[in-house]
Amino acid sequence: MAIINNDKYTQRINWHLSKYPDKRSAVMPLLYIAQEEYGWVSPEGINEVAQLCDMDPTQVKSIAGFYTMYSEKPKGKYWLQVCNDLACALRGADEFHHDLLHHLGIEEGGTTDDGLFTVEHVMCLAACDKAPMLQCNFHFMENLDMAKMKAWIEEKRAELEKENS
Amino acid sequence: MVKIVIDGKDYEVPAGANLVDAAKNAAGNDIPVFCYHPKMEPVGMCRMCIVELGMEEIDRETKQPVLDDKGQPKVRWMPKLQTACTQKVTPGMHVRTATKLVEDARQNVIEFLLTSHPLDCPICDKGGECPLQNLTMAHGPGGSRMVFNDKLKLDKHVPLGDLIYLDEERCIQCARCVRFQDEIVGDDVLAFHERGRSLQIITNSDPGFDTYFSGNTTDICPVGALTTADFRFGARPWELTEVPSICPHDAAGSNISLSTRLDRDAGGKAVIKRVMPRQNEYVNEIWISDKTRFGHHFTRSEDRLLHPMLRRGDTLAPTTWKDVFARVAGDLKAAGSDVAVIAGGAITNEDLWELKQLAAGLGSERLGTWTPTYGGADLVAKVGVGKGTNLKDLGKGDAVLVIASDLEEEVPMWRLRLKQAQDRGAYLVVANARHTRLEDFATQKERNGKPVSGATIRYNVGEAAHVMHELKTRYPEIAEKLAGATNLVIVAGAEGLTLDGSKALMQAAANFLISSGHVGKANNGLMSPLPGANGMGLHYMGFTPENTQHIMANPPKVLIVAQAEPGEDDPTAAAWLSKVETVITLSLFPDKTTHYATYALPIQSFAERDGTFVNGERRVQRFYTAQGPMGEALPAWKIVAGMREALGQAKPKVSAAAVMLEISNKVPAFAGCTYKDLAKVEKQFPDVGGADLYYGGTAYDNKGGLGVQIATSADAGETPAVADVTLPAVPKAKDGELLLLPTTRLYNRSHVFKPSVLVHPRVLLPYVELNEADAHKLGVQPGDVVEIAFGDDTVRVRAGINGTPAGVAVLPRELADKATPFLPTSGTIKKVTEPVLA
Amino acid sequence: MTNPIILLRGQEVPNIHQYDVYVQHGGYQGLKKALGMSPDEVINEVKNSGLRGRGGAGFPAGVKWSFIPKNEPVKYVTVNADESETGTFKDRLIMETNPHQLIEGALICAYAIQAKAVYIYLRGEFWDVAHQLDQCIEDARKDGWVGKNIGGGNFSCEVYTHLGAGAYICGEESALLNSLEGKLGQPRVRPPFPAQKGGGLYGEPTVVNNVETIANVPWIMVNGAAEYKKIGTEQSAGTKLYCVSGHVKKPGVYELPFTATFRELLYDICGGPSVEGRNFKALLPSGGSGPIVHLNDQVLDTRMSYEDTAKIGTIIGSASLIVMDDSVDITWVASKVTKFFKHESCGKCTPCREGTYWLDKVIDRILAGEGRPEDVKLIENVAKNMAGITLCALGEFAANPIIHTIKNFPDDFNQHVAKKAETKPVPAKKLAAAGD
Repeated sequence: MAIINNDKYTQRINWHLSKYPDKRSAVMPLLYIAQEEYGWVSPEGINEVAQLCDMDPTQVKSIAGFYTMYSEKPKGKYWLQVCNDLACALRGADEFHHDLLHHLGIEEGGTTDDGLFTVEHVMCLAACDKAPMLQCNFHFMENLDMAKMKAWIEEKRAELEKENS
Repeated sequence: MVKIVIDGKDYEVPAGANLVDAAKNAAGNDIPVFCYHPKMEPVGMCRMCIVELGMEEIDRETKQPVLDDKGQPKVRWMPKLQTACTQKVTPGMHVRTATKLVEDARQNVIEFLLTSHPLDCPICDKGGECPLQNLTMAHGPGGSRMVFNDKLKLDKHVPLGDLIYLDEERCIQCARCVRFQDEIVGDDVLAFHERGRSLQIITNSDPGFDTYFSGNTTDICPVGALTTADFRFGARPWELTEVPSICPHDAAGSNISLSTRLDRDAGGKAVIKRVMPRQNEYVNEIWISDKTRFGHHFTRSEDRLLHPMLRRGDTLAPTTWKDVFARVAGDLKAAGSDVAVIAGGAITNEDLWELKQLAAGLGSERLGTWTPTYGGADLVAKVGVGKGTNLKDLGKGDAVLVIASDLEEEVPMWRLRLKQAQDRGAYLVVANARHTRLEDFATQKERNGKPVSGATIRYNVGEAAHVMHELKTRYPEIAEKLAGATNLVIVAGAEGLTLDGSKALMQAAANFLISSGHVGKANNGLMSPLPGANGMGLHYMGFTPENTQHIMANPPKVLIVAQAEPGEDDPTAAAWLSKVETVITLSLFPDKTTHYATYALPIQSFAERDGTFVNGERRVQRFYTAQGPMGEALPAWKIVAGMREALGQAKPKVSAAAVMLEISNKVPAFAGCTYKDLAKVEKQFPDVGGADLYYGGTAYDNKGGLGVQIATSADAGETPAVADVTLPAVPKAKDGELLLLPTTRLYNRSHVFKPSVLVHPRVLLPYVELNEADAHKLGVQPGDVVEIAFGDDTVRVRAGINGTPAGVAVLPRELADKATPFLPTSGTIKKVTEPVLA
Repeated sequence: MTNPIILLRGQEVPNIHQYDVYVQHGGYQGLKKALGMSPDEVINEVKNSGLRGRGGAGFPAGVKWSFIPKNEPVKYVTVNADESETGTFKDRLIMETNPHQLIEGALICAYAIQAKAVYIYLRGEFWDVAHQLDQCIEDARKDGWVGKNIGGGNFSCEVYTHLGAGAYICGEESALLNSLEGKLGQPRVRPPFPAQKGGGLYGEPTVVNNVETIANVPWIMVNGAAEYKKIGTEQSAGTKLYCVSGHVKKPGVYELPFTATFRELLYDICGGPSVEGRNFKALLPSGGSGPIVHLNDQVLDTRMSYEDTAKIGTIIGSASLIVMDDSVDITWVASKVTKFFKHESCGKCTPCREGTYWLDKVIDRILAGEGRPEDVKLIENVAKNMAGITLCALGEFAANPIIHTIKNFPDDFNQHVAKKAETKPVPAKKLAAAGD
């Protein structure tokens, strides 16, 4: 699909475009919409956002590359961004991050073979008192440990299996 | 002017000047820079220009400087070092550039830059003229403390487009290229990607880095990160000999430097390795278009005509110059005064002078221009932009009207400079029958955060003169703003016009300028994108398009076609050229005109000889011999001089300089235009040559001359009078047909551009642009192959649908390999199934 | 005396994030009062309150507002909710639990400078928070507090949220403005400053204030500058949200007057060291960027105000206290913080872009036990060379942790280069995973 002429997004796109005196300002919210549609900031998405914001696609790509929350490559269904910055690390976030990668059998930044989980570490997410924590598709999961994570992972795997069967 | 103190000495500098510039100009102090560039807004990124900065303390009550015990003004120094490039000078500013603090900071910045810069100077194209090298020698640390085996490894061959390569390791993230595209060109197709140490230049446009000015980024790149596909690994800068020259392609007359080297592959002759901009702040500043830069390969093309050829039956056979001169003299004598000359726009004044003398000696004044499309060169001579004009001076309060021209395609340098005039506050009006690139700028209200003003006018094809003539009634608001501008420049082209239409437009434009008082002074007046580098030279030497029309209608016995290609350009050429008894062609290439030639004579290109052109702003400019001759080719003036000698008219002059000396004595417009006069230079800003530390780029300083601008008659005090405008009939399509509108494409398949194979991917396939409704009616989809019929001729091209006015089909010239109309012509279009392209 | 609660009112009033509840408890009365005053009177009230910017620099808010030129037709308020400093999580709590107070404060500021619109720039990770704020704005609009003719008067102002997308540098005000304009979030050259024509959002004069700063304003309007000034110290008026993380029993956000000491916070409220038998070793009082100090008695007995923390060689800044016990190797802390700044450097200026990269490489070498004796001097020197010549404060922030960790904890570094290092608490393999 596309985000232009897509009923699912028209209202939101128009709202964002209306918020600013300059269309260019809507580039960030619209990149989120493109990411929502394509699962990542795909070349199609970049071109559509460029068209909507009246920008050169180079400039949109530049914005997408500057910020860490836009993914320029496809990710797993659950994009797990683990904070292992100082404050979290003092409460075991490095070990948590390491164990999570190990448990899923992937490298930092990698995606599980079933396409479910991508894990990468990020800088401070402003939830230092609830470490270890991570951000899953932009929603926070806090006060974690591996037992909790394993249960959650099993739950998501079961959901996938159910969908597939 | 304000007083500032640099390293303890007082200087008077212009108020508001950039501190880096002011220090250079007033104190000769090279504050080192990487990201700063005097042609662009400062960004304070590289931190190299860091200085100590202080302000004199001012007593709030008396408004006088507070003095210390010694009676000197008390200076409050800022606690931190400041970047000079982001400072505008203010009264009482104190600057220290030579303290230990500053020297240490400079050394630190260099050290930081070198932590991830590769040490591949020995194989780097920039090596030898590299600001990073120079500034490292001047300010850098003696050794490296970044001792790692795994130094940053990045991609070294990233094509940003067909012409420009990026070496990511060498890039120091100064953003000069990004800013050039954004601020100067107005095509923001370069940007940074990622951030921190991962910051890299990218393009994500389609096509990639593909503007007509992309090569300039390699000049202003302060390291070897950006290189051209043309010159990469081609030669080392210190092996090159720089020869001052002039771009032969268009009316801008961009000053260039031909970097030449004695080349093994060329049999030990000097050949052009690259074309670089040569600073002329009046003409092209420090920029050149990509056509100027990459369009030089024709000079060494293997397809060049190399020997004088004589027709023997159906074929042309080589002969000797001596034979040619003798035979031609015979033919000319036999023709009596029934002799004519048609000369193209790329021919030099020296050539034109000899041709004119030759014809005059035979009693002929039939001197025509090719193509016979642009009228009004006489008006440019009368009310052209005044002496001393510099488009760089246009700005707030001034206005520019561009009418009936697609400047981006015709004279890209003017489009670049006029767009910048708009950036500086000038009111830009673009009037045409269709969309052009410059129109995009005229419609913008804001650019790079600053307001810009402009307006656009769309008229029916062929009505440019009508619009210009009736501007005050048709567009009163625009007319008022133009008339009320402090300075006004009108650029009037000939797109969509017949010769009569073009003449009427030029007269109407002249009338507007005269009646609003915008003539006879610098930065005011008329310009025309006359085809070729010497359109105005043709005028001053008495060559006119009217004569050409007459010649075409009444073919002479002998016709000399000098550096003109009617056979390539004119679908009707066969009809009139075949009626000429003896066609003598003087050309670089064997072409469709040589089919008709009895004598096909090889001339030297601009690179092989000396000569002069007069640009669209009437600046006479000189170029110098850069590379060895091809075959037996001679400069055209020498060939004509040989004919004249054989005719007993005169002995040949010994050199182009001698020809010009004669011209300067005989042709009033060229008074004071001897080669010596043309070679004069003056100090220019920015200082791009010299120490090289300050500016840090590789445009070349001007050692070959800034040229001499011919005064207009208005400049000379003659009061120009408004003249009647005869509005011509507007070209119309016949019933049921479309009006074929010839347009210009910068990149085309002309003989002087085809050999530049690098640019081939950028030359469009032959196409026609249709209106949506017309296409629908014809059952044509975008991409379909269509056959266009006009007169007795047809051409097959691909169709595009692109907002063309209804009833009009845009058919660019010089894309197909056969002639298409050069004037608006009625024609038919039909879809064909077999995709055979011309 | 119980501590006054100005910001974390959710602790006292359940569901005050809901519009109705907020209004029942005096919500939007500060705005109403402001609308009855002249804009200058509002600015003076805020000036007189002594309210200082809570983003870290502590610049007086009212003074900042007074810089906005009166004769410019278009002006903006931008709320900095790009809370990204390591160890900082207070603004999020305000926006989650007391969002209307922020909206009300922003509108008071907008009225004071006669702004056309308010943009609340949230860090992208505050996705859910932003959506709740959007709802709150709409709820307030229904009663006429947002949009045209606010409170029935002549003043009109829109309030919008804008989500960032993961870039610490966008907390720097000029980078924030660039980001909001749809440009790269890189700092601008100043002057012109945001308050000046040409320097603010879309080139218009703009106030940029932190969430916590703005959230104080309704209270000041309702209770008056004099009441506000009674709280806190002479140069640090009001309460402050202190974010405590690291090795304490009860980490979290606590609202205290500036008169409170580190001891009161870390022991009385947070319960002291999290692991029995360990002692506090070090404190970063202002996230990763502020100078680190030994967490000794002198520090513990210092009031957590702007002026008092300056006396012990550090800053209170954004009051993001990262507490470290004696199990922590300060070299590792320097590495963590350096990795943060290397990751967040925007790349625009040379010293920060190259310096953070270089520092990180050398510290990695030191931590891996391959450091040379001169490496400690080297990183100290590199950090010092960065400081003072960068385009924005981030370069300074990146240099600080190196300079101050080495200055205050030289032994932690020297033991590594003397090849005596233990790799606690993070084994080398995990470091590699944490690296970029």
